[in-house]
Amino acid sequence: MNRLNSRSLRLAVLVIFIVGLLLLALGGYLTPLFRLTLNPIITVEAWLSSRYLAIHDMITVPKDVARLQQRNAELESQVTQLQAQVIELQQRISEAQVLYALLDFARSRPDNQYVAASVIGRDTNPFISYILIDQGSDAGLRHGMPVVTNQGLVGRIDAVTAGGARVQLVTDSASVVNVRLQSTQVEASMTASVTGELALQMVPTSASLSVGDVILTSGLGGSYPANIFIGQISSVRKRESDLSQTAIVQSVVDFVGLKAVLVITNFKPVDLNPLIPTPAK
Amino acid sequence: MANLIALPLLVILSVFQTAIVNRLPLLHGTADLILLTLAAWSLHERVTSVWFWVLLGGVLVSYASATPFFAPLIGYVVMTVIARLLRRRVWQTPILAMILITFLGTFIQHGLYMGALFIRGVTFNWRESLNLITLPSLLLNILLAIPVYAVISTLAEWVYPGELEI
Repeated sequence: MNRLNSRSLRLAVLVIFIVGLLLLALGGYLTPLFRLTLNPIITVEAWLSSRYLAIHDMITVPKDVARLQQRNAELESQVTQLQAQVIELQQRISEAQVLYALLDFARSRPDNQYVAASVIGRDTNPFISYILIDQGSDAGLRHGMPVVTNQGLVGRIDAVTAGGARVQLVTDSASVVNVRLQSTQVEASMTASVTGELALQMVPTSASLSVGDVILTSGLGGSYPANIFIGQISSVRKRESDLSQTAIVQSVVDFVGLKAVLVITNFKPVDLNPLIPTPAK
Repeated sequence: MANLIALPLLVILSVFQTAIVNRLPLLHGTADLILLTLAAWSLHERVTSVWFWVLLGGVLVSYASATPFFAPLIGYVVMTVIARLLRRRVWQTPILAMILITFLGTFIQHGLYMGALFIRGVTFNWRESLNLITLPSLLLNILLAIPVYAVISTLAEWVYPGELEI
């Protein structure tokens, strides 16, 4: 009986002690005590944890670095590929813009039939101005056909193979184009120097030439169709003592950056050579 | 062997010349890779197959160009004759010989080009042609002469390996 009472008493004291501790803890009265006892433990645990992580990193980081380097290489490769794609797409956009401009030009003149061609090269001889294009007799190109861009006259076909052609530019020193001034209807011949400078030669002094006058093909001679835009007069050379005057023409076509051209395939140039009298021997 | 590699090499150089080099002018002058290649090839002491290269180079350039057929070919032949003569005299200083041949070759070639224009009845200003076309072309050719010589010399030594001394 005494033993039973003693146990009950201990249990009751224990419960009261635990409940008391809980109440003290919940009431915040044990916080300084907890702080005092837990802080060293936390410090030790933090130190231990940092040492563990340092050792863990030392063991595992090389693998991560290798993986990161591999990933970096992959990403750099992807960036390079994407940059190449961007450049290719920009180039295609540039080509498409040129082709759209040519298409607009072709639509504006529905009476002409065109074959579009890319410029693939230039003549080796720097004294002459010829370009090579990637369309030839297989595409219906023939000798003498006029070549234009959306900006204006480029030249005419000089030689043709099955898959390519050579174009004599109007800036070639042997090229002669019969032209007229849009404003005054004055007709003249346009020639070029070896450096590609275009000039109207032998224009009568009575004709009125002024800077800014628009030059078009006249169609005379049968080499080019009429009314193709060539350029504008940029300066006039006229002296009182001369029998004729000369004008420098600024072409609207950028012959240096020429990328694509249109060949007018339904124009048949007239060969006037048989009509030119030869001196009797 | 030398003749076998001449065709692909000169065709590639012709394509490179018309597609790229001619689009990179200095004023109005352009470099002539075929001329430089033939000059470097002709100057190499062990090279024997020269005339086939010259003929092929002249034909390729003439085929793509609107220049009369004889002009590039004659220019290359004359330049090669001078190069072969020079090789025997100043072979100890091949770089100097290369620059000299480039200088002479450019003037010979451009003289023939101007002659061809003259025959066709084209009037042109000699001084303008010299200042704006020939001299810039000469400068470009001389700038490219040394690297072209180095490449072609390596090729020539590969095609014509020297005898080993035991």
